[in-house]
Amino acid sequence: MSGAWYLGWRYLAFHKFKSAILIASITLMLFLPAATRVLVSDSAAALTARADRTPLLFGAAGSPLELVLNSLYFHAGKPSAITADKLDQLQATSLAKFIPLNTHFHSRDNPIVGTTLEYFSFRGLELAGGRLMGMLGECVLGAGAAARQGVVSGDYVVSSPETVFDIAGVYPLRMKVAGVLKPTGSTDDAAVFVDVRTTWVIQGLGHGHQDLAKPGAAAGVLGRKEGVITANASVAQYAEITVDNIAEFHFHGRSDNFPLTSVIAVPPDDKSATLLRGRYQSNDEGLQLVVPATVLNDLLDTVFTVQNYVILGLAMLGMATVAVIVLVFLLSQQLRRGEFHTLSRIGASRIYIGLLIASELAFVFIGSLLLALSLIIVMKQYALQILQSFLTL
Amino acid sequence: MSRLLSMLFSLFLAACGEMEDTQSGNTGTEDRVANRPLVVTSNYPLFFFASQIAGDAKQAPRIVLPSIGGDPASWVPTADQIGLLQSADLVLLNGAGYESWLDWITLDEGRLTNTTAGTTSQLIELKELPTHQHGPAGEHAHLGTAFTTWLDPRLAMEQAGAVAVALERLVPDQADSFRDKLSGLQSRLTELDRELADTFAALNGQPILFSHPVYQYLQRRYDLNGVSLHWEPDAEPGISAWIELQKILQQHPAAIMLWEEVPLASTSARLADMGVRSIVFRTASNRPGHGDYFDVMGGNADRL
Repeated sequence: MSGAWYLGWRYLAFHKFKSAILIASITLMLFLPAATRVLVSDSAAALTARADRTPLLFGAAGSPLELVLNSLYFHAGKPSAITADKLDQLQATSLAKFIPLNTHFHSRDNPIVGTTLEYFSFRGLELAGGRLMGMLGECVLGAGAAARQGVVSGDYVVSSPETVFDIAGVYPLRMKVAGVLKPTGSTDDAAVFVDVRTTWVIQGLGHGHQDLAKPGAAAGVLGRKEGVITANASVAQYAEITVDNIAEFHFHGRSDNFPLTSVIAVPPDDKSATLLRGRYQSNDEGLQLVVPATVLNDLLDTVFTVQNYVILGLAMLGMATVAVIVLVFLLSQQLRRGEFHTLSRIGASRIYIGLLIASELAFVFIGSLLLALSLIIVMKQYALQILQSFLTL
Repeated sequence: MSRLLSMLFSLFLAACGEMEDTQSGNTGTEDRVANRPLVVTSNYPLFFFASQIAGDAKQAPRIVLPSIGGDPASWVPTADQIGLLQSADLVLLNGAGYESWLDWITLDEGRLTNTTAGTTSQLIELKELPTHQHGPAGEHAHLGTAFTTWLDPRLAMEQAGAVAVALERLVPDQADSFRDKLSGLQSRLTELDRELADTFAALNGQPILFSHPVYQYLQRRYDLNGVSLHWEPDAEPGISAWIELQKILQQHPAAIMLWEEVPLASTSARLADMGVRSIVFRTASNRPGHGDYFDVMGGNADRL
């Protein structure tokens, strides 16, 4: 009995290339549908978990999906902005805790997320080192962002210009890293968190320069007339906010009109949530209120439908692969007629020869199954990272 | 031995410093153990009001005034002080533009209480504003508000009320105690108001000068006929300042000038030669060297 298994094993080992192709084909046939299902279900769980923890989201009227993906996953797509006075209006309702977000800018590939300190407690983010940002121009990095930029507390990161053609536009802001967060396995790991007002400085709505009233700034003054000082283009703007120059930073225009990407609302109870939804369900001020979990579920319904089509296609492909493998085996038996005849003449029974062929098939299928299982386990480990790479690119 | 004594003395000073900053001498660790909420105030009047209302019960909130050198209106918090503000359960603000540092410090807004938020209609807007122009935004001025609100005892009472409400929200269990103590504090402020009203009434509307534009609420409350200068008590006024004063005195023959602190002897003497008596009227914006808020205000009334 063991001799048939041994001969089967030796046959496969001798025909390495043929055996490898067979195993690879069957592995892929098993792995692809299973991987698709695992990836989609894990991704769905991760997506909905973050969305479930975000009760309500306010943003500019437009695509709810773009708003949710940008505000929850800092996706590259940029929804229209709302003005900061909308945050004041929301806060005046006292129906929830409101957390503003401004996700318009990047530092290298990492999204800069302008928000308030409440975001950290809301998401349960903890410091691995340093402290939370204390003033404008300071930032707190997610674990992934810190690793990618190779910085620790006390180092600096720089905001990236929006476009290389905006020569006279926004200056990159050099920001001090106040702290680094512990890894969370979420998109927060890739973010650079700053005070929301720091994003307005990055945008050029606020800036710092030498005091034009002082004698040392004479070279930068175009004219003085009736108490009005007009600066010329040579006035140097600060590229970094420090304790020494913070007093010279100021904003232009009304802060009510400054932009926000969205506002997360965290109502204390269902009643407040219902009142809030009722108040903003049909809003004609260019605002939309979405329930992120609902928006994500709509997206996932589509994803699951597509997944079913993909799996159906893969199943058909699998059947075709099985047919080809069966054909290959049958043809192989024809080619091995002489070998089987020799075995028969030296005393091997028909059962023995059948067992030899079965052992070869068993080795191929068991090997493919083990390989496919290993690949699925590895892929399951990295499902979140794979998902994030799709969402943050 | 002398080294040991020196160390003990240093420890004693450190302990005194802690006591000076906080309502009680307890350390932060002890407070955390006792779960006492931390309340940080941005100036001395708010610290005093909050301390009076919170009382000294074992579970009373811990009231802290950060160590601020000079006028808290121009305070620039250090990194440690920013940490203190961020760790506070409640930050009591004077409002009316007093805390300019709010523009650039990152704090949890849910923990901030503006004690003049309910009295915005009573705030005095500053009219003389510097304007400047740069960029396409054009000429503009940064609006300002007079911020020494507590110099009007009626506004101070409103602020004390706002402090009590904030403390009640923070520690609902002690609400009754807070209300009782607020009532006592407001009685004393009413008494102070009466005392200052009697004192200023004796001036009979005679012109006075203010060394600095910080007495707007005092002026409005007691209908004072005053003009503000921009003189610093620790700096010698320049020639142009004296010339300007002479011009003002021609239109506004004042015999009294109120100072936030004792002016230079030379300045006092020259003013006296011009028939202007220097009187110190402290705003109590920062912790006094001796006594408490009412002692400072009582001293102001006595000097007048």
